[in-house]
Parts: sequence; C-alpha cells; structure tokens
Amino acid sequence: MRVHSAVALIAAATLAAACGGERAASTGSAGGTVIIAAPGDALSLFPPLIGDQVGRWVADQIFDRLAEIGQDLSTVGDKGFTPRLAKRWTWSRDSLSIAFSLDPRARWHDGRPVRASDVRYSFKVFTDPKVGSPTAPLLANIDSISVRDSLTAVAWFKQRKPEQFYDLAYQLLIIPEHIYGSIPADQLHTSEITRHPIGSGRFKLEKWDAGTRISLIADTANYRGRPELDRVIFTPMDSPGAAAAVLTGQVDFVDNFPFAQLPRLDSSTVARSIVFPQMGYAFAAMNANARRSNAPHPIFSDRRVRRALSMAVDRVAMLHNVFGSAGRLNHGPFPMTLAVADSTVQVPPYDTAAANALLDSAGWRRGPDGIRTKAGRPLRFTMAISAPSIPRNAYGVLMQEAFRKVGVQADIERLEPNAMNDKVTHGDFDMVLLTFGVDPSPTDTKQFWATSGIGPTGQNYYHYSNRVADALMDSITTAPDQAASRAYAKRAFQTIDDDLPAIWLYDAVVVEAVNRRITTAPMRADAWWANLADWSIPPDKRIDRDRIGLTPTKP
Amino acid sequence: MRRTLAARLLQSVVVVFIVTTITFFVVRLAPGDPFSYDSTAITPAVRAHWRAQFGYDQPLGVQYVKYLASVAHGQFGYSFERHEPVVAALRETLPNTLLLAGLALGASFLLGVVVGVVQATHRGRWFDRVSSGLLLTLYSLPDFWGALMMLLLFSYWWRLLPAGGAVDPVMHDYLPAGRALLDRISHLVLPATSLTLLTTAAVARYQRSAMLDALPADYVRTARAKGVPERGVVWCHALRTALTPMVVLLGLLLPALLGGTVFVEKVFSWPGIGYLAVSAINARDYDVVTATVVVGSVLVVIGNLLADLLHAAIDPRLRA
Repeated sequence: MRVHSAVALIAAATLAAACGGERAASTGSAGGTVIIAAPGDALSLFPPLIGDQVGRWVADQIFDRLAEIGQDLSTVGDKGFTPRLAKRWTWSRDSLSIAFSLDPRARWHDGRPVRASDVRYSFKVFTDPKVGSPTAPLLANIDSISVRDSLTAVAWFKQRKPEQFYDLAYQLLIIPEHIYGSIPADQLHTSEITRHPIGSGRFKLEKWDAGTRISLIADTANYRGRPELDRVIFTPMDSPGAAAAVLTGQVDFVDNFPFAQLPRLDSSTVARSIVFPQMGYAFAAMNANARRSNAPHPIFSDRRVRRALSMAVDRVAMLHNVFGSAGRLNHGPFPMTLAVADSTVQVPPYDTAAANALLDSAGWRRGPDGIRTKAGRPLRFTMAISAPSIPRNAYGVLMQEAFRKVGVQADIERLEPNAMNDKVTHGDFDMVLLTFGVDPSPTDTKQFWATSGIGPTGQNYYHYSNRVADALMDSITTAPDQAASRAYAKRAFQTIDDDLPAIWLYDAVVVEAVNRRITTAPMRADAWWANLADWSIPPDKRIDRDRIGLTPTKP
Repeated sequence: MRRTLAARLLQSVVVVFIVTTITFFVVRLAPGDPFSYDSTAITPAVRAHWRAQFGYDQPLGVQYVKYLASVAHGQFGYSFERHEPVVAALRETLPNTLLLAGLALGASFLLGVVVGVVQATHRGRWFDRVSSGLLLTLYSLPDFWGALMMLLLFSYWWRLLPAGGAVDPVMHDYLPAGRALLDRISHLVLPATSLTLLTTAAVARYQRSAMLDALPADYVRTARAKGVPERGVVWCHALRTALTPMVVLLGLLLPALLGGTVFVEKVFSWPGIGYLAVSAINARDYDVVTATVVVGSVLVVIGNLLADLLHAAIDPRLRA
C-alpha cells in the first residue's frame, strides 16, 4: 500500500538517506579523472530531447530528478525511491496529487536556487507538443504541476495509478526555467543554449567539443555532496580502439565490452570486468502477417509451425555457445531484471522429435533435399539480423543450423541498422532477431506486445495480438500492489509464451571493462552510470591525470 | 593558358554541383533518416513529429531547393548529430583531415620516390625484389585491416602509441607546449603511417617505372659521358624527368587518399572529416553526409587542377 502518512515518509526518507541515497559530505580524499569511451558523441544534452544512450549517460550526471528509483527498480508507489531535488513528498488523501518539498540547499550550476517554478516549467517543456519530447507519452497521466510556494511543487494526476510516482520521478529531469525559459519551444531543438546545459547534478559541464569529448567537472558545492571524482570525460571511440584503449589504460571504462574478449579482460593487469544483467531481452520474432501485408503469414500463422521452430532450438546450448557461463536465459517478453519478472513461466522444451512431428502434422513434408514443402512451397523464410550485433549474428547461425535439422531453411539477412529499422517498422520481414531495452516499468510490455502497439504509435512490429494478453497487460500496471501486479504479469507472460509469437533467446547481459584503479559503486540494471558520482580512485592508485585537480582546462 | 584555366575552373564547378546533387538524392534514398536511430524510447509518432518539424516530410524537390539555398549562404545545412551548423562541424574536422592527409601524402611521395629510384637503379637485385614484394603486399592489403593491425601491434601489444583520438582527452590541456606537441605527434603517428603505407606502394611503382624509362635516355648517357658522378646522374638528371609523371599521380592519388582517411580515421577515432562522414552516414545526418562528399569532391578537383597546372609548368610542351 502507498504510504500516505507524512511522518512515515519522512522516516522512509531519513532511512534512505542513511542507506546512502543522499550523500554525506565528501570523505576528503576525493579526486581523480575517469575517461569513458563512448560509442559516439551525445546527440543532445537537453533532457526533454534526449533519446540516445550517450546523451542519457551525460545528462544524468548534470541534471537531477525529484527522486531516484531504488536499486531494486520497484515502480509501484514510492517504495525504494530516495530523495533527490525533493527532500520529501506528501501524498494527498485521494492520491491524486503529490506535494514535493524541494531541498532548499539545491542550486543550479550557475548559483541560482532551484525553485518549484523550475519543476513546473520542466513538466511544461517535456509535454509541449512543439518540443516533441520522446518522454511526453510517459507523462500522460500527469495533469499539471502547480507551485504552492517557492520550494513546494504539487503534481496533479489524472488517475490514481500504482506507477504515478514513478512516472513523474523517473521520467522528469528538472531543468532551469531561467536558462531555457526565454527560448521558444519549437526552437529548443536547435538552440545553441542547449549545448551548454546548466543543471543541479553533482557534475557540471566543463566543455563539450563536438565529436571529440564531453568533459564534466565536480560541482564541489553541490547540495548532495561533492562527487568522489574530480572529472569524468566521455570521448567517442570506435569499438576495436576502445577495447585496446581500456586494456592499455588509455581510457578507464568501456560499456558493452565484446563478450568474446572477456578472457583477455579477466587476465589483464590493467582492467577488470564487471558482468551484470541489464533491462533488455533478445528474441526471434515471427511476423504474424505476410511481409508488408495485412494477410496472415504463409508460414508463421500456423501455431504448430511456431511451436516446432521453438522446440527445434536448444536455447541453453546456444546461450553457452555465445555467452559462456555469463549468459542468462530469457523466459518471455520481459528481462529477469524487471520487478514483475517470473522465471517459472513455461517455454516449450527443446525436443527435435516433437518439432519434426509437429511439422509433419502441419502438412510440411521433407523433400529430396531435406527441406520440407507443402503444396509445392518450401518451408523457407528469411531471418533479419542487425549486422553489428555480434551475439545476434552468432545466434542466427546457430538457429539456422537447428532449423535445417528439422527440414526448415532459414536465410540470414544481415542488415545495416538503418536498413534493419526500415524493414522492421514496415513489417518487411519473416523472422527478425531483436533486442529490446525496457524501462523498469512493465508498461513497456504493452508497447511491444499489446494489440495497441501495432501501427505507428507502438513497436509491436510483428503484429502479435491476443485480447486476453492485452487485458492482463493492462492489469499489471493498474494492480493495487506489487504482489497483484506480479500475479497479473505471470498470467500475461504465460499467455504470450503459449501463443509463441517469438523464440525467447537471452536476457541482455553486459560486460563493462573498468580500470583496476577505480572503485565503482553498485551498478543499476537500467543505468550503469546512475551512481557514477560515487565512483572513486584511492589516492595511492592515482596516476597523472587523476592529480590535475579542478584546474580549469583551456577554453 | 588563361582560357584553359578558366575552362578547367568552370568544369570543376559543374563537377562539384553534379556531385552535390547526386549525393543529396542518393543519401535520401537510403533507408532511414536523421530521426530513425535505434532507440525503443522514441515512438514512431515522436519521430514523425521531428521529421515534420525539420521539413523531412516535404517532397525531395522542395528539400533540395532549401538545401541549395543553405549552401549558397555558406551554411551547408544543420547537423542533427552534433547540434550545430554543418559549416561549424567542417571547420572543426577539416583541419585534422588536412593535417593527416597532408602528412601522409608528403611522406608517401618522399618514401615512394626514394624507394622507386633505388629499385630502378638496382633493378633485378635483392633490394628490388624484396621491396617490390613488400610494397605489393602492402598495396594489396585492405586499408582498414592494415590500420587495425597497426593498432594491435603498436597500441595493444607493444603499448608504444595511443589507440585513438587526436590528443590525450585529459592531459593535453595541461601539458607545457613542448609536451603538448609531442602528445599530438604521438596520436598522429599511427593514423598517418597507416595512410602513408596505403599510398607509398603506388608511388614507388610509378617512380620505378618512370626511372626505368629515364635512365637509358640520351641526356643521361651524355651526363655520364661528361663525367657527372653516378649519384648526380640519377638524383639530378634522371629523376628530374622521371618526376613529371608523378605530378599526374598526385591528382590520381588524392581520391584514394581521401577514401583511405575515412577508414583510418574511423579505426583510430581521429576527429577528421572521414570520421565525421562515417558517423553522419550511420546517423543519416543528411546535410553532413552531403557536405563531406562535397568537400571531398572539392579537394579532389583542386588537387587535379593543381596537378594539371604543375604538370604544365614543368613540361613546356603542355604550355604550347
């Protein structure tokens, strides 16, 4: 149940602060520079317009939320959330509004205090159609934000929902009205001022040399305490160069280090590995419709064929083949890092005899070349895979071989990412290997697997539709508590699994390569960078670049 | 001569215009657009909104006219990837590419000419055979593979040189001038060497062949008969004539060199126009892709023009 008592909230906030949610003053040994190899430059550092990962990495250091989600990523009520810009919050009796009391110590990086009017302005910009923020649909349940006094912002909700607190706290980064307020909404996308972000986070922007580096420097006067590091530099580096650079100490951190190079990393004296699961899962979706058509797919519209294909692949063996012992099996349209995940959801077992029998019963008979046919049509389809994805390409080859053993010919179609995106969004594929990254909220499941996700507003590209699953997915996010939400989730996931719209492959697991001199903070499944300000470098392990202190760089 | 020059300049303008037009349309015919990057956080509706906001939902003809107007104003459009006018992106990256390509061009000509001359004067001997084989091998290697091997050898295994970037992203700003220069040079060595190796083989082959044509010539024999030392005969008399075809090669090599910078800059994360082009292609940053191709074509056109002028200057027959 949601906590309505202000006393209980204050107690919870105090407890959270004691557990490390709010930092105390610096230990006095702060210092050091961390260089992070980024796959590219940030596309934007203006929070309402950020849709790329590097932009998120950086913006989350510069800007703050009202409250921060907990390590367990619970999205129901305010459980687990720790204070950020909001020092505390109070629910109204009818739960249709929440009053956020801002920390009076909070300052923008230009020294101006953070005010409730900034919260109201942030909401206005995020939801302004002229801005076109990708976050706007996620804030749809918030009616408005009003200012009670200079340090109290009240969020008003359209409906009581278990995730209403999460919707606001997780999605809305607070931006300063006095910096951006004078820019017309439709010009924010190209305004020069968005290249010089001013936030309230523990790091502030020092320099952004487009295509070369983004340098963040510690905000030593920050209301949450000085970061343990002096500087964080994000520098674009291509994959082979980044791997060599982290193994030789030229950079300190590489996200998504190649899995195949893991032994090299583990034997390195310079860098070490951190392997942890992310909020994502990979699967091979079978298009319910024929390519670029609304007609049923000539092969995949038959459930027996879908089941046979699922049973033809040894998911466990493939997982070990591609990821070694670090892989995690996927169980359905959810990663196990999702708060409502359930590993007891049943997936068809690996059984090639049963797969052959199913295909026989569906009328697909083996021809002289070993490939099955039905009414003169071979059991043959294409498998679209994004060319840069090493694990998905490896899976593609393994699946191709597994299908061949049951008389099915799958032709791999490796596509450049833009070409892949174009084909997928237009339904121009038979089978496609995809990885979906998801938010901590199970709401994302609807976008990818509900009937409402079919068409231009959703991402159900493979036209999966089941009204029972739709209703159950709706219930996940409207259930009154986490237990009920989990129960609905299990039923929804099982219903989808039983329909076999996809072959569930693996949960996203990432290898992070980090220099051995760096002590990292716990990494959250949705954002490894969430606690970057708490990373530290012990004084005895510091190298030249760690000792430059806070001396400004050349302009 | 002036009329020839004017005609060549006019031709160059036409070539650049055609290249601009072709690039403009071809890049837009490829799947995707600046807002189609892979992110499940962005719904198709938001992407459509952005497309409309920046006019990418308009007919191609309308977009083309707008782009030409932007080029006429010296803007070259707007980069969605870098959030700045394209001309600013070119200003930041072009000097890096010119530095890299210029060094590589100079080094490859110097090295190629010397090797070619020595090969020709030692025709059939071990140096000629070994160096020819070696250069042919280098010439046959894909440029990106060669760059990757350099990275592996000198950066990862032997740890002698940095793996990427134009300078140390942290320390460069704090180093004294001398060490800052060394830092820049150390970052330049691997990409410049990769690019140099790409073109040295071709230069050496051409130079060898030109020298073999020049050495039996009457004026060389005359020089020898007049008692000019062999070194003078080769490096002053024969080489002077044998360098003429190399000027033509300069014009031919420029496109190859610029193509090579794309791969080399990508491998070494060198912030030049090639790296910019690859990122822009991946991001479908239309205006940047078009601008980089235009800049590339302008450089090639200028290179060829200069080569022709130089050729005419040193060969009196062409001035007639």
